[in-house]
Amino acid sequence: MKSNLIKSMTAFAALGLIISACAGAATPTTAPEPTAAPEATATTAPEATAAEATATTAAEPTAAEPTAATATTAPATGGELKVGLIMVGPYNDKGWSQAHYEAMEYVTQKQPGVTFDYVDKVNAGDRPNVKGSQVADDLIAKGAQVIIFNSDDFKDDALETAKKHPDIPVIHASGDYSWKEGNNFRDQPNLINIMGQMEYGKMIGGCAAAMATETGKIGYLGPLINEETRRLAASVYLGARYCWENYAGKDPKDLQFKVTWIGFWFNIPGVTLDPTKVADDFYNGGYDVVLSGIDTPEAAVQAKKAAEAGKTVKFVHYDYAGGCEVAPDVCLGVPYFNWGSAYLDAMQKAMNGQLTQSFSWNAPDWKNINDPDTSAVGFVQGKALGDNAAKLDEFIKGLGDNTIQLYKGPLNYQDGSVFLKDGEVATPQQIWYLQQLLEGMEGSSSAQ
Amino acid sequence: MNVQLQHIYKNFGAVQANDDVSLSVESGAIHGLLGENGAGKSTLVKILSGFITRDRGEILLNGQPAGIKTPADAIRAGVGMLHQDPLDFPPMTVLDNFVSGRPGGLFINQRAASHEFKALTSQFNFELDVDEQVSNLTVGERQQLEIVRLLALGVQTLILDEPTTGISASQKSALFAALKKLAAQGKSVIFVSHKLDDVAELCHAVTVMRAGHVVGTATIPCPSARLVSMMFGRELAAPSKPQTCRDDVVLQVQHLALSDGRMDVRIDRLDVHCGEVIGLAGLEGSGQRLFLLACAGILRPAAGDVRLHAARNGLSSMAGKPYHDFLKAGVGYLPADRLREGLIWGLTIQDHVALRTPASSAFIDRDSTRQNAELAIQTFNIRGRTDTRAGQLSGGNQQRTQLALLPPALNLVLMEHPTRGLDIESTIWVWQQLIARCQAGTAILFASSDLDEIVQYSDRVIVFSGGKVSAPIDTTSLSAETLGEMIGGKF
Amino acid sequence: MNENSKTTRPPGASALSLRVSRAAYYQLGALLISLLFMALIVIFSGESPLRVVSSLWDGAFGTADQFARVLATLTPLLLCASGLIYTFTAGLYNLGVEGQIVVGAVATTWVLRALQNQVPAPLVIALGIIAGMAGGMLWGLLAGALNVYGKISEIFAGLGLNFVAQGLAIYLIFGPWKRPGVASMSGTEPFDESLWLGRIGQTEASPVALVIALVVLIITIVVMRNTYYGLRLKAVGQNPRAAFILGIPSTRLLLSSFAICGAFAGIAGALQVVALFHRLIPSISSSLGFLALLVVMLISFNALWILPMAFFFSGLNVGSLQLPMALRLESSLAGVIQGTLVLFALLARGLSERAGKIKRSQ
Repeated sequence: MKSNLIKSMTAFAALGLIISACAGAATPTTAPEPTAAPEATATTAPEATAAEATATTAAEPTAAEPTAATATTAPATGGELKVGLIMVGPYNDKGWSQAHYEAMEYVTQKQPGVTFDYVDKVNAGDRPNVKGSQVADDLIAKGAQVIIFNSDDFKDDALETAKKHPDIPVIHASGDYSWKEGNNFRDQPNLINIMGQMEYGKMIGGCAAAMATETGKIGYLGPLINEETRRLAASVYLGARYCWENYAGKDPKDLQFKVTWIGFWFNIPGVTLDPTKVADDFYNGGYDVVLSGIDTPEAAVQAKKAAEAGKTVKFVHYDYAGGCEVAPDVCLGVPYFNWGSAYLDAMQKAMNGQLTQSFSWNAPDWKNINDPDTSAVGFVQGKALGDNAAKLDEFIKGLGDNTIQLYKGPLNYQDGSVFLKDGEVATPQQIWYLQQLLEGMEGSSSAQ
Repeated sequence: MNVQLQHIYKNFGAVQANDDVSLSVESGAIHGLLGENGAGKSTLVKILSGFITRDRGEILLNGQPAGIKTPADAIRAGVGMLHQDPLDFPPMTVLDNFVSGRPGGLFINQRAASHEFKALTSQFNFELDVDEQVSNLTVGERQQLEIVRLLALGVQTLILDEPTTGISASQKSALFAALKKLAAQGKSVIFVSHKLDDVAELCHAVTVMRAGHVVGTATIPCPSARLVSMMFGRELAAPSKPQTCRDDVVLQVQHLALSDGRMDVRIDRLDVHCGEVIGLAGLEGSGQRLFLLACAGILRPAAGDVRLHAARNGLSSMAGKPYHDFLKAGVGYLPADRLREGLIWGLTIQDHVALRTPASSAFIDRDSTRQNAELAIQTFNIRGRTDTRAGQLSGGNQQRTQLALLPPALNLVLMEHPTRGLDIESTIWVWQQLIARCQAGTAILFASSDLDEIVQYSDRVIVFSGGKVSAPIDTTSLSAETLGEMIGGKF
Repeated sequence: MNENSKTTRPPGASALSLRVSRAAYYQLGALLISLLFMALIVIFSGESPLRVVSSLWDGAFGTADQFARVLATLTPLLLCASGLIYTFTAGLYNLGVEGQIVVGAVATTWVLRALQNQVPAPLVIALGIIAGMAGGMLWGLLAGALNVYGKISEIFAGLGLNFVAQGLAIYLIFGPWKRPGVASMSGTEPFDESLWLGRIGQTEASPVALVIALVVLIITIVVMRNTYYGLRLKAVGQNPRAAFILGIPSTRLLLSSFAICGAFAGIAGALQVVALFHRLIPSISSSLGFLALLVVMLISFNALWILPMAFFFSGLNVGSLQLPMALRLESSLAGVIQGTLVLFALLARGLSERAGKIKRSQ
């Protein structure tokens, strides 16, 4: 046994030698950067419109910052900037993470000198022994000058990274630590939060659903329960209720709106509810329109199957502009994020050393919510919308010019307590930190 | 089918399992193959049925050389074997088992197979349900299934290895009737057994094997004493144990009933005295082991009591006591299967010594255990070093190690085959050690398949036969003839 | 048959040396074949094996941060591997080690939450680690009781308890211990920095945690080599029947090995909380328990080898993050490398033993 050990020990020593030898030989060859392909097309134009657009919305605590940014974008030439993008899902997930990935590709096209490295699937399931902050450390070690974290789950990692690397601006998409007026403010000068006002997208989706439902029953396939998902679900409901009442001309009491939370952003067998089953239960239970609030396309897939089986069902997708592709005929549309303009703006600031603590909650560009250069949130209309498309445009216009204000009293929480008194308009904080679902919605407001 | 085995040789390592064995079985005959465990019967029939390859020798079937190398070859040549534990697939149904092993296509004609199965079973009065799970069948039913399966495969010569162990009386008579029917059809049957009664009842002729050789062939009927003497060899040795018995009783057995599911053993009353040696004679597997295990506290009796002499208190009942209490009462047990039960393959002699040493601290005192191990190696003449693993020792040296590990002061030593695998000198030396213990008052119970050993070293002998237990007999009043008859079951 | 082959095992030292050298050849061969096999996989995925090796090396030892991470991964790996030595020696496959880590972490979090701001921080940390140890031990004993008294295979008992432990952690994170207002996969609210076990600079390596792990490792080596307990455990593990007949209390030993393994895994869980994550997260074990199983199987349950092998696997584990970063390769390739190594090593051992048997029976 002993000499057995010695033998295998030498074997491992040999392996070690091989590895180190190889490492020495190979290090010089690791230079070329596969993602560094900035087309040197001089397109520095569309800044002003973008900034103005974001500044015009109602619930905007951040209106000042984008305008300030536009002033400094012009001289951003010649500089180099390497960005590290850390994504929770696969870069090609046709959803949340892909939207970030494509946004950074957009930035590299629009802004010469910007390159980016990314690591995707940074989550416990795919990479068990990897923390977001570790990935950030490594990306910084490889030369990243700005770090983007793209999930709410990274809030601790983002803060940790920002503290550890005070010179590196750390963007956390969807958090609130840098919001001075928020509930969780952490005074970390190099931490930046960026988020799109998806509430509008969800309202539009809800409106489309309400106009399409024949049974008056709308289902919402929710992820886990937190402030963000609560306010998004509530926004769907508000949009749906408005259009049910004003465009379909029906009594709000007859609208059934049910939220089922599966427990996470996607299916984890044994941990979450199975979204396929939840979607099926909706369709089989008379909910003829289902909106997805999760990252994966079960609502669409099951709608397609139900439609093929002869049921009249429709769905609203989420997160990804191409979301209708799964089943175009029964797709009412899809609200999606467009991070491109916000990231472009941030990188331009970073190149000038001006990317510091800020909180941006960016609105759609109401002139054209689908403008890739200006609108933070868009809505692609689906085929199944049919004749209601015109009314939906009217609804969007109303949202844009503030003639339709949905977070306005009287509104009650689910338990009947008052959320907004008659005529009261919700503050951004009241919306961001929505305490409960709203009266009229079915489903839990918090995890037990 | 005529079967002839000619000059078969097979050795496993140094052991000559078959040494120039020849056997001839006519078609239409039921031929018994008789012998003690380890005599080489199983090896021989496994060679014939392709489970073991022979080193040398020829197999002739109907006069033609048959190149049997695998079980499939044997089946193709018409030779099928029913193993002691039938080789079936318990989670499957009877019918699935029946069709398994068939050559041919992917698809099974269930209807035809079921039909064939029913025809065969009714022919032999076997009552088997095609849809039953094999795991629910008794051993006897599984045998029936296996026989039917082999016959359906076209087997002309059927080999049965100890088929009557663990089956009911009615199953046994059904089996024998079926075998006789097969013989009447012209098929040949080879019946391997160590039970004289069964052979006498069923077979036309019998071949006796001992230690890898054929020692004789006889036609039935034949006096069982002759068969026993063939099985065990020459005249018995003379008793040579000095008198060491004392009056006080160290072990008392009362109305003991034991069972391992296959065999029931009953002993009404036995008193074992200090310094006494009692030999347990009988064919292996006749109940001796169950008895020893019960005395050692390893097997719980179904009924009755084992009473041991505990210090000062006199005899006390051990009913329901754990094994540990038996150890404390000074019982030492030496199992036959040294590497499965006695020693631990990967541990060294020194480790074993340490395990047996009562620990005074948590840490092993390496120096003193090494000294103890060296002492044991010297005293017991073990060919090995302190760091030799048990598995690397030869069988004889394993046995010496086991003996060396027995605690010095014991009231009762229980042994299975204490000198198996040892040469003559070592055997004598081992018994000197044991008798020295007897002189100090230790009682010994030992089972052995070596009748010489039993007669030489015992004060009294108990004979086991198929679970039946004789009353103890003084060694001096034993003759080879009576002993042989008792072993054959006549007492 | 059986007796025959047994009596012919070659005695003495010459046979011993023969066996060893054959085993070593097989091991070496296995290593070469697995390296070759891995190289092929890498080539098929369109990369150069050399670049993969250099990336792994860079990823593990390129920066101080990364090296610290290797040490941070090494800590739980050493603890769990040390614990698994006990159960493996007793002949048990304690797949429940993952759950034992999780329950340890849960117990630690519970104590930290209950005592923070009430007792001096160092005491809170110490009590937290002790609680983690107790929690893991309890969970290990539960698996042991199911195995010993319930006659359930320890593999299934362990896997079942892993599920329960994971469920418990998720329930707590999303329920009673959720952050104010928000429940999230990112875990409970981080503890105050005073409750963090000291680190080397800004890195993730905690010297105290590493020292605890090394002490546990040394204890394990000593117990296995020099105590009656270790020897009895070996006896029970190799041959429970013979050990029983030799008078060794096997039930108690089996249960104690579960308890010890659970306790060490529980410490690992505790350190994941106080030294690394500073909160309870759903994947608190980082699957390092399973990695430790591989480590221990690869070193033939010999405690002396834990340190180098665990270090090697920590490096591989941490370095693998470079694969997607530098080469755009799946980092799960490192998992394939791990698996391949273990598979071939086990295969080699099996073949070598088989060859030994054939040789002996001739």
